[in-house]
Amino acid sequence: MRSVAIVGAGQTRHARRRKDVTQVALAREAVTSALQDAGLTMDDIDSVVVCSGPVLFAAVNQPEKWLVDAIGARLKPVVRVTSGGGTGLAGALAAVNQIRGGFAERVLVVAYDKLSEGALQYSISTLYDPFWGREFAVGIMGFAAAYWRARMDSLGHTEEAAAMVSVKNHRNALLNPYAHVKKEVSVEDVMNSRPLCWPIKLLDVPPISDGACAVVLSSEDAAKASADPAWIRGIAYYSEAENAANRSMIQSEPLTIAAQRVYKQAGITNPRRQCDVVEVQEPYTCFELSYYEGLGLCPPGGAADLISSGATLIDGDIPVNPSGGCMGANPIGATALIRLAEVAQQVRGRAGNHQIPDARVGLMQAGGGWANLRGVAVVASTKG
Amino acid sequence: MTDGLLTGIDQPQVLETTLSLPYTLTTGRAAGTFLAELGNKRILGSRCDKCARVMTPPQDYCSRCGSASETFVHMPERGTVTAVTRTDRAILALVQLDGSDSGFLHRLAPDSHHAAVGARVRAVWADTPSQSMLDLDCFALDDTGGHAGSAIEVGEVAVVAELAYSLTLHYKHAYGPHYGRLFDELATHRRILGSLCPSCRNVLVPPREFCDACFVRTAQYVDVADTGILQAFSVIHMEFVGQTRKPPYVYAEIVLDGSATRLIHTIAGFDVTTAAERLQIGMPVRAVWKDRADCHGTLDDIDYFEIVTGSERGD
Ligand SMILES: [Zn+2]
Ligand SMILES: [Zn+2]
Repeated sequence: MRSVAIVGAGQTRHARRRKDVTQVALAREAVTSALQDAGLTMDDIDSVVVCSGPVLFAAVNQPEKWLVDAIGARLKPVVRVTSGGGTGLAGALAAVNQIRGGFAERVLVVAYDKLSEGALQYSISTLYDPFWGREFAVGIMGFAAAYWRARMDSLGHTEEAAAMVSVKNHRNALLNPYAHVKKEVSVEDVMNSRPLCWPIKLLDVPPISDGACAVVLSSEDAAKASADPAWIRGIAYYSEAENAANRSMIQSEPLTIAAQRVYKQAGITNPRRQCDVVEVQEPYTCFELSYYEGLGLCPPGGAADLISSGATLIDGDIPVNPSGGCMGANPIGATALIRLAEVAQQVRGRAGNHQIPDARVGLMQAGGGWANLRGVAVVASTKG
Repeated sequence: MTDGLLTGIDQPQVLETTLSLPYTLTTGRAAGTFLAELGNKRILGSRCDKCARVMTPPQDYCSRCGSASETFVHMPERGTVTAVTRTDRAILALVQLDGSDSGFLHRLAPDSHHAAVGARVRAVWADTPSQSMLDLDCFALDDTGGHAGSAIEVGEVAVVAELAYSLTLHYKHAYGPHYGRLFDELATHRRILGSLCPSCRNVLVPPREFCDACFVRTAQYVDVADTGILQAFSVIHMEFVGQTRKPPYVYAEIVLDGSATRLIHTIAGFDVTTAAERLQIGMPVRAVWKDRADCHGTLDDIDYFEIVTGSERGD
């Protein structure tokens, strides 16, 4: 299989509301930054993958059409990929496959959402079957809170453990120039914050953001021009049946399958020891706890101990979300690609103030829904 | 109950739903300035500093070369029709203003019945500005001849930065045989149906054509109890646009006795402020049905699920 590398990445200034830019101008800002980071121009790009969330978020259907002008992609292949919170990773996988298949040498992936334009929870509630369940839907928050509560019983994912995730990620976001939520919080602050969908409380929840991210992926030949490519050592994205019988809502089977496949591709047998840095997409704090187990950083039921031990702090032995994760900024359609861009910049030594020293292997995870759609990727400073 | 059975074959039965979504759109520099200038009875275009393409309405980025370097220009109010069509509400045309490289989609004056490609037109302004495209009321036929000169550069002018917008979307979802039967039984007999997978022997609610896990055709309908087990719950305190009930209330996922799938509903009939302590995962619950007169063949025919008394921890 042809090797593929990330040779450039860029993000916008994220904000609760970017009044100064349209949706497409937001996307362009990230593209400009990624091309600059890669030392390339649009002339070097063979193909473009556009990623954004459900169109009801911002009332523009088929936005990739509008993006063509804004990023100078006229007469190039342009497709849009969307998959909930995992959108950006699903788009990156499409780009990787375009390169592996020989269709393109360099692919630009641009992912964005301008969530300030519309009614977020209402839009997300339309993901549910109109006959069966939509009338009770509370975005995915009601649902996520319900199964977090169930995990408390079976896996010990306590409110305090989740609060520690919030404390850690908020603190890390202080180091990230792209994060727009910059405040230190304590476990007590989180525990005492207003319940939204109990047990999920205000400080368990990331902000709603306008923002974009772009990444340039390159074939092995084309990556020779790059001084510091981040090699994709494994990437996968899996799903499960939404309403099948006896569905396990306690562990995400798609996450386990994706992780096993990616570890096999990347030659990883002990992720906690072999990975230097991890970025996960945590729509709420409780998700990060579950990912520790799904990614094999600890055994099932071990997440609360792992966060309490300090191992996932920025100076711990397995730092998770040194960027602050979604707590710093959460433009949903871009969030997964931001996680990929962050680990790529880490292994390229370009992560700035939240750089993990000598990071060589980065692990990232993203997905849509509670457990339905899950993807994993490993990037490294060497081709392997 | 709707007129007749939802499974009726004479006429497909549909669930009518409406989504009403509010938006605050960010116009960006070009569209925002264009709208502000329409209010001043001036048509704005943009000229690419790199390739000189002139676009009306103005764009933030050149559609030819992708450059972000655009100079705003005031366009002449006269142009030529390059395409025309008639709808039941208006005569629509693409108007290429003099000096512009792009067509401007707008309506023609109601009396422009004989308008054809090549016709000359001029802008007609609305009497009262509304901060929308219709500040330019329409284009009217104009045979005064001659071209109106070229674009004039403008400096920075006021911008309309945000626009309130809304989408109201009406849908008609066809019940199909399985949902039709399910909701017919629910409304007329207070019976909940599932379908049995002949391979894994699981009963799937709502009933469906195929088992999602085995992907084999389901064999038969099976009655499912209106009692079940609380599999997961949360307590909703948050309010949001489009919400169907008033917080606080319980979001519940219930596995009905005899089935192997999740039903989303609510638990009530007790002091909801004590839900976090009182509800336990695995506790038995039972449907409380609405009065028959209030049943319409939806999940809402079940008013809520109640805790089966005697089941609580410590009882
Ligand atoms: Zn140009
Ligand atoms: Zn089956």
